Amino acid sequence: MSKGNNKSFSLRARLMLGATVMVFVFLLGLYPALQQIFTRALEQAVEQRLASDASALISAAQVVDGRLQMPAKLPDEEFPVLPARQLGFIYDSQGQLVWRSRSAAEHQVDYQPRYDGKGHEFTRAWDQQGQAFFVYDVEIDLLRGSDAAYSIITMQPVRDYRPMYKSLKRQLYIWLAGSLVFLLGFLWLGLGWGTRSLRHLGRELDEVENGQRKALSDDHPNELLRLTRSLNRLLDSERQQSQKYMHSLDDLAHSLKTPLAVLQGVGEVLARTPDNAEQASTLQTQVGRMSQQIGYQLQRASLRKSGLLRHRVRLEPVVQTLLDALNKVYHNKQVKVEQLYPGELRMPIEQGALYEMLGNLLENAYRLCLGHIRISAGNNKGFCELLIEDDGPGVPVSQRERILQRGARLDTQNPGQGIGTAVVKDIIESYDGQLLIEESELGGAKFRVLLPLN
Amino acid sequence: MKLLVVEDEALLRHHLHTRLTEAGHVVDAAADAEEALFRVKEFNHDLAIVDLGLPGMDGMELIRELRSQGHTFPVLILTARGNWQHKVEGLAAGADDYVVKPFQFEELEARLNALLRRSSGFVQSTIEADILSLDLNRKQASIEGEMLQLTAYEYRILEYLMRNHQQVIAKERLMEQLYPNDEERDANVIEVLVGRLRRKLEAGSGFKPIETVRGQGYIFNEPCR
Repeated sequence: MSKGNNKSFSLRARLMLGATVMVFVFLLGLYPALQQIFTRALEQAVEQRLASDASALISAAQVVDGRLQMPAKLPDEEFPVLPARQLGFIYDSQGQLVWRSRSAAEHQVDYQPRYDGKGHEFTRAWDQQGQAFFVYDVEIDLLRGSDAAYSIITMQPVRDYRPMYKSLKRQLYIWLAGSLVFLLGFLWLGLGWGTRSLRHLGRELDEVENGQRKALSDDHPNELLRLTRSLNRLLDSERQQSQKYMHSLDDLAHSLKTPLAVLQGVGEVLARTPDNAEQASTLQTQVGRMSQQIGYQLQRASLRKSGLLRHRVRLEPVVQTLLDALNKVYHNKQVKVEQLYPGELRMPIEQGALYEMLGNLLENAYRLCLGHIRISAGNNKGFCELLIEDDGPGVPVSQRERILQRGARLDTQNPGQGIGTAVVKDIIESYDGQLLIEESELGGAKFRVLLPLN
Repeated sequence: MKLLVVEDEALLRHHLHTRLTEAGHVVDAAADAEEALFRVKEFNHDLAIVDLGLPGMDGMELIRELRSQGHTFPVLILTARGNWQHKVEGLAAGADDYVVKPFQFEELEARLNALLRRSSGFVQSTIEADILSLDLNRKQASIEGEMLQLTAYEYRILEYLMRNHQQVIAKERLMEQLYPNDEERDANVIEVLVGRLRRKLEAGSGFKPIETVRGQGYIFNEPCR
C-alpha cells in the first residue's frame, strides 16, 4: 500500500511539497521579525510626533520671576497644535504638576516623572481604566538654572494607533500571502522546467519499449547523460547477448535435431523388416521423446524475459503476420477469422514470446476448427485479456488440466509436437499471467489469456 | 513429380532421396543453396524441400532467391527450430508449408502431396476426367471403376499430363519427370511409353484423351477436376 502511494507522487510533486514546507517555515520565522520592525517604525513615528508636540509646549512656556507661566490660551486652542486626544503635562524638578492641558483634565494617568537631567524618554503608561498611553517625557531647563527646570510630558492613547496598526498588519499579511502564491507558482513552473528532461527521458524509454527507437538519444542534460549512456550500453549489450544466445540455440537445435531426423529415418527403414519391428518401434519412441524434450527446452530457453525493459507490443501486426502464415498452411480449410480488438492495443509481453504464444494458440484453433475462429482482446481491471475461440470439438472439462501440462497431447492424429500449449502456459506464467480453458459460444474451445499490465 | 531436396546432412539427404523415389517421385538432391540454384536453372521442378539451416547461403535466403528468380513451384521448409518467428519468416519469404525436424516420413509425404495438389489446382486427392479417375494417394488409375494396370512410368506420365491438362507438354519435360537428371535420356522411350498408355486407356472404352502436337509434344485434351 505504502509502495503504491510512494509511486503516485511524482518527483515534481515531492520537490514542490518540500519547497512549500520550507517556504512556510521560512515565513513563520520571518513573520515575528517583520512585525517587530514594523512596530519599532510605528513607535518611532509616534515618538517624533509627541516630541514635536512637546516642542510646541516648550515654545509656549515662559518663566517669569522664577515661575512658569503658560499662556491663557494654549496654541492648541488657537491652532490645532495638540489634537484633542493628546495630553500635555508640565512638572517642576521636584515632581510637582505645574500645568496640564485641558484635554488632560479627564485622565488620571499613572505616570510620575523624575527630573534627573537625562534629556528625554519615550515610554508607556496606563490610566485608571487600564487604557494605555504613549508617553514622551523631555526635561528642559528654561533659564539654565535648576530653578526653572521642568519635565514636559506629552501623551497619546495607544488605541488611536490601533486601526492604523491593524490595517498595516493586514496589508503585511496580504503582501506575504501574495508573495507566497507568486513564489510557489514560480517554483512549480521552475520545477516543471527542471524535470522536463526527466519526462523527455521517460518518453524516450516508452519509445524504446514500444520498439519505435533502438536506443536513448544524447539530447539530455549533462547530469543525465552518464545515466542514459550507461543505459544504452546495457540495452546494447543485452540485445547482443540475446542475439548471440538465439544463434547458439539455433545451432544447438540444428545440431541436435538433424541427427534425430536421421535416426527417425533409420527407424522407419528398420521397421520395414518384420524382425526389426520391435527395435525400430523402441528407437522411434525414444527419438520422439528426445525430440519433444529438446523442442520444449529450446522453446523455453529462447523465451527469456528481458530484465531491463517492460514490453508493449502491438497485437494487430503480430496477429496479421501469423494469420498470413497459417492461411498459407491451412489454405484448403478457408477459415473465417473474426478479430475483435482495438487496432492500437499493445500487449505487455516481449515480441518473440507473443509470436510463440499466439502462434501455438492460433495453430491449435486452425487445426481443430471447422471454419470459424474469433480473436478478441482488451484491457480490463489491470489485466490485458486475450481470447482465442474456435468452433472445433472443444476441450472436455476432465482434460483441461492435463492439456496444460508439459508434453500433454490430446490429439495424436494431428501434426504438432504436443508441447504448444505447455509452452504457452510457461510463457504466460513467466509474465505472472494466467491461462484458462473454457467453452466458447462458437461451440469449441475458448483459451483465455490474462497478462498483468504492470 | 520432380522434386528438389536441399539438405546439407548427407544421411538425411540420402534418406529423403530414397523414400521419395520409392514414393514415385523423381528426386534431385542438392547439398547447399548454390547447387540448388544451379539445378533449378537447369531443370523444371514441381516442388522443393528446403532445409533452413544450410551452410553458407541459408535456406531462407535460398527461398527468397528462388522467388525473386520467378520460380513458382511450392516450397516446403524443413526446420530444426520450431519457433513461430522462424516459421513465419520462412513462410513470408515464399515457402508454402513447414515440417519440424525430426519428422515422420508419412507426415512429410502428406504435406508434400497436399502442396502438389494445391499447386496444380486440385484440392482433392483424386483427379477426374470424364470416365477416367486418378487416385493420387494410391497412385492408381481407373476407367468407369475398372482399375487400369499401369507401370510406374506410365502412371507418372498420365499424372503429369492430367495435372497439366489442356497444355502442350514437351517430351523433354516428360523425360525430366521420369528420370533423375544425371541419367541418359532417349526421346524414343517417351513415345513408346505414351503409345502403351494410350492403348491401355482406349482398351474397352475407346477413351482417347492424349493427343500428339507435332513437333511440340503431347496434350491431355479432356478437362480435369
